[in-house]
Amino acid sequence: MEDYFSSADEYCYHDYYDDDDDDRDASYGLQEIETEVPLPCTKGPSCEVITKESLLAAQREDLRRIMDLLSLKEHLARTLLIHYRWDVDKVIVVLVEKGKDKLYAEAGVTVSEHDNLSSELPSMVMCIICIEEVSATEVTTMDCGHCFCNNCWTEHFIVKINEGQSRRIRCMEFNCYAICDEAKIRSLVSARDPNLSEKFDRFLLESYIEDNKRVKWCPSVPHCGNAIRIKDDEFCEVECACGLQFCFNCLSEAHSPCSCLMWELWSKKCQDESETVNWITVHTKPCPNCNKLVHKDGGCNLVCCVCGQAFCWLCGGPTGKEHTWTSISGHSCGQYKEDQGKKTERAKMDLLRYIHYHNLFKAHTDSFKREAELKETIQEKISHLEERQSSKDFSWVTNGLDRLFRSRRVLSYSYPFAYYMFGDDSVKLEMTKEEKEIKQNLFEEQQQQLHANVEKLSLFMGEPFDRYPEDEVEELRMKIINLSVITDRLCRKLYECIENDLLDSIQLVRHRIAPYMSRGLEKASELSICWETEA
Amino acid sequence: MQASRARLFKEYKEVQREKVADPDIQLVCDDSNIFKWTALIKGPSETPYEGGIFQLAFAVPEQYPLQPPQVRFLTKIFHPNVHFKTGEICLDILKNAWSPAWTLQSVCRAIIALMAHPEPDSPLNCDSGNLLRSGDIRGYQSMARMYARLAAMPKKG
Repeated sequence: MEDYFSSADEYCYHDYYDDDDDDRDASYGLQEIETEVPLPCTKGPSCEVITKESLLAAQREDLRRIMDLLSLKEHLARTLLIHYRWDVDKVIVVLVEKGKDKLYAEAGVTVSEHDNLSSELPSMVMCIICIEEVSATEVTTMDCGHCFCNNCWTEHFIVKINEGQSRRIRCMEFNCYAICDEAKIRSLVSARDPNLSEKFDRFLLESYIEDNKRVKWCPSVPHCGNAIRIKDDEFCEVECACGLQFCFNCLSEAHSPCSCLMWELWSKKCQDESETVNWITVHTKPCPNCNKLVHKDGGCNLVCCVCGQAFCWLCGGPTGKEHTWTSISGHSCGQYKEDQGKKTERAKMDLLRYIHYHNLFKAHTDSFKREAELKETIQEKISHLEERQSSKDFSWVTNGLDRLFRSRRVLSYSYPFAYYMFGDDSVKLEMTKEEKEIKQNLFEEQQQQLHANVEKLSLFMGEPFDRYPEDEVEELRMKIINLSVITDRLCRKLYECIENDLLDSIQLVRHRIAPYMSRGLEKASELSICWETEA
Repeated sequence: MQASRARLFKEYKEVQREKVADPDIQLVCDDSNIFKWTALIKGPSETPYEGGIFQLAFAVPEQYPLQPPQVRFLTKIFHPNVHFKTGEICLDILKNAWSPAWTLQSVCRAIIALMAHPEPDSPLNCDSGNLLRSGDIRGYQSMARMYARLAAMPKKG
């Protein structure tokens, strides 16, 4: 404890106005002290807000890269990118490894070779869909060379758009996987129903968000209309321009140091099981590729999601098209393994454990809510103080309060983490008993320290310092600054302990945890548009 | 909606013309409803279904031919890709591989092909699928034959 204080003092006095930090942090008086462990160098913003207005620009940026790289038309570039989930790098990798033809074939892109064909058509053409003879002016030939009458095409497009398939409307010919030219779709559909054509355009635009690994809708309710794009690691916690903080990976509230899987299990456990939830768990399974819930309405157990991913209905694992029941590589569904014997007596113990951790979690989230109310009274106290001694800087109060919020948050989520880390089988962390004991002691030691200091900070923050004489205010200021440094360091240590000592590298793959943000979650910045506007 | 009606009418005329051409398939439209069809198909030769006559029921959606018709067996059949109780058929062209270029007639042909070439890896009838997967061809054939005799062949005498 002692050395924390002394080192904190040093930082306090020597590095207080260290100026190699970003400008936007200048307003945070305490920031420089707190970042004694160098943060990973910030190379521009790691997350950006995409609003309704900037969506088109954001999409066009990626389209442009592909169009330039492969000299493709816009709709083909879009088809390609939709297939590869807007991952430009992936497109490039496939191009290099498998070649252009394979790249196009996989995405259903046909580079037009049939443009001249339409002029060679006889005056009357037989449309095999409506089985009618149609004049050559009334038919449309797609890039794949298949020709049907405009009426049938339009009907086909309307059905597909209404089915929500706008992003990959295929040719009507059997076994033709070519994606239809969006310009042709647009002109045919808008002649019949301009509203639907608009809907089609919106679907294409929103594909940039919905089919993109790096972009997600902000989960705010009611929806703020924004989406967030991240630079590289999807395991991070962000704050949208609307103020909502969330985990980018699983879209629920920011929950580190709990992993997404743990948090999902925990929140399910805490929530009352409504009928809807019951129905969903009984009747649907998440697609292993896009995670949309899939409802099986018939057919065999090899099901296919709208995104095109095939998976095994029994175990939920992804399968290739050549899935067979006898050999499914990588998983063994239907093999019963559990040892039934000890189950019943353990259930009771599990319940007790759960209640223990849940009470702690609840206690801290409740304190968090109460402390949030403190914000107003603190403001009052600051204004009182300012009246008395106008020259002083009171940023230490608000910074201390922010620190209290952040540390409290970390502390409360550390309980569900501990619940799954040291016991519950649903997470399957393989450890020997001794190993578990050592790890649990290590973790709880850190958790306790953090707990003690957070409570102390909370106590100081609640003091009626506006009525204190000046020297006592100064004393409190020092205490709060020091405690802020300590809790920040303890939070960081807790994250490091989880990452380095508790979870091994294999477990970390399943339980990726968003990194600790000493300054609070990163606010998504406005999108910087780096392409030139089209004339 | 008019489009589906027109197309079904075209198919109806086509069927009348082709009746003699394809002796294995007999497609009949419901007298009062052009969206309801039934078909009688002959079990393909050199299969356990040979000699049987199987009845299929078609329910055609209003969006036809942009959406596939719903087809099921009315005659009980022991086949890996047909649900033993409901007669539901697991066939890709009736689900996601549907193309508007298919007709009711060609769907019947595809079902006959499925009868001759069962796909035991995506079974709706697991017992039947398991027999085939475990290599018990004789077991499968005799079961299929028995049900074909019981359900798909007119009783003699």
